[in-house]
Amino acid sequence: MTLLKDKDRDYLIKEFEGLTNPVKLMLFTNPDECEYCEDTQTIAEEVASLSDKVSLEVCNIEANQDVAARYGIQAFPAIVMLQDGPQPKDFGIRYFGIPAGYEFSSLVHDIVMVGKGETQLTEATKQWLAELKVPVHLQVFVTPTCPYCPQAVLLAHQMAMQSEMIRADMVEATEFPDLAMKYDVMGVPRTVINEDTFVEGAVPEAALLSKMKQALAI
Amino acid sequence: MILDLQSYTPNSAEKSNVYDVVIIGGGPAGASAAIYAARADLRTLVIDKGLTAGALGITDKIANYPGVVGPVSGAALVETMRQQATTFGAEFLADKVIGVDFTADPRLIIAGTNTYFARAVVLATGSMGRTSTIPGEAELLGHGVSYCATCDGAFFRNKVVAVVGNNDEALEEALFLTRYAQKVVLVVPTPALTASESLLQEVSTQPGIEIRLSTRVIEIIGESGHVAGLHLRDRAGGDSFLMVSGVFVYLQGGKPIVDYLGSPFEIGANGCLLVDAEMQTSMAGVFAAGDLLCSHVKQAVIAAADGVKAAIAANKYLQGSKVLQADWN
Repeated sequence: MTLLKDKDRDYLIKEFEGLTNPVKLMLFTNPDECEYCEDTQTIAEEVASLSDKVSLEVCNIEANQDVAARYGIQAFPAIVMLQDGPQPKDFGIRYFGIPAGYEFSSLVHDIVMVGKGETQLTEATKQWLAELKVPVHLQVFVTPTCPYCPQAVLLAHQMAMQSEMIRADMVEATEFPDLAMKYDVMGVPRTVINEDTFVEGAVPEAALLSKMKQALAI
Repeated sequence: MILDLQSYTPNSAEKSNVYDVVIIGGGPAGASAAIYAARADLRTLVIDKGLTAGALGITDKIANYPGVVGPVSGAALVETMRQQATTFGAEFLADKVIGVDFTADPRLIIAGTNTYFARAVVLATGSMGRTSTIPGEAELLGHGVSYCATCDGAFFRNKVVAVVGNNDEALEEALFLTRYAQKVVLVVPTPALTASESLLQEVSTQPGIEIRLSTRVIEIIGESGHVAGLHLRDRAGGDSFLMVSGVFVYLQGGKPIVDYLGSPFEIGANGCLLVDAEMQTSMAGVFAAGDLLCSHVKQAVIAAADGVKAAIAANKYLQGSKVLQADWN
């Protein structure tokens, strides 16, 4: 089954021709209790079929507990995006839940970002991130029907790519009601910084940065 | 399941979404700009939230618009202008602009359902932005207060929610919320609903929507950090409490709408946009017209004239630009 329209498929094939680094998607599934694992795998397979530079490895959790633990995966479906190579590079880019609806564009954006090896962050942000010495965990809660959400996801993922200290997760709120409840999510996008600092809406780069500083008390 | 590239914003623009001029706002300024831009053979797109999103669309009777023997409704006048622009080839899109990047080449306009590219831009978003918030609104944002039903509707499954406002956007969002909510209470500050005929019909026959006219929200009341209800006041001054879990706010005010711009534009004292004699903003190739301008006389005919000036200036700018690509049409 193909999910992409011919026009979009052709477009993405061309777009992915510009990739210089190989990109690897690691998809973690739990066939027993996972409503969206199959659909997510279909999406990942279709995206990986568009370019030699994009590959997919599907890890069934039952046979890959140690791999999942290494990447910090506890919810399914999950996608970890790596820059592939003899020693794959994990920037800390994660997707929990299906990257469908508006979030499909986030997935494509991230592939292009990792494949080209560059973010669009400002020099000032890059400089601040270069000096970051403490770990930061960003969790961006989204719904697939939210047009503002990819902006928040992409900003968080760019920060993850720019700094080894940052891990950034997209979390599809309706698939993980327990997580949504834990972080009191009733509106999206909502970004959680290190468990206890919250950002409502798709805020500009400088605003997220200032919230991160607040969370880290610096 | 269909995968859609609707909001993918690549560096290289897809040809079908590239326009010579994108006009944001389809009131008298935007529609008049579209007439002149399209007539100048520029590929022209107008992105507009709806017929009653702006000041003219909700005006009852116009009798002083030169050349139009009234009284006509503002909506009918805007509609005529749009039809005129469409005749010359302008395209109209009912959507909301959620972000722009005017430093990109071509300039990028992100709307709810797609991304568009423009060589020149005319801003004509009017001045019906909100000037104040309801007490409790800011504190409870993301905890039951929302501005986006498609984003957040799923969090209110089988709950009672309120939609506050009186325009196409509010009515559309109320209709959308009936998919999830047990009941949607439409709180309308004015004595009557103003929206396009088909929307009015749909809303008034939808059993999941209860309409409360002439009712203002005095306060959004929270309990344990979440929206618990609304303190309402009707026209006679009677107060009541409405128990809701969520409130979606689409109120309008009298402030120039520039919040979607984000970029560094030269802004006047009350948030209005500054332009030069040729309607160009502080950013080359980005023009503005109508009520969002500083010291603008708020009359439809002046907004229309501004729009024409902006379109002529945009055409001049594009003809002078070195990257002419005539094959776009």
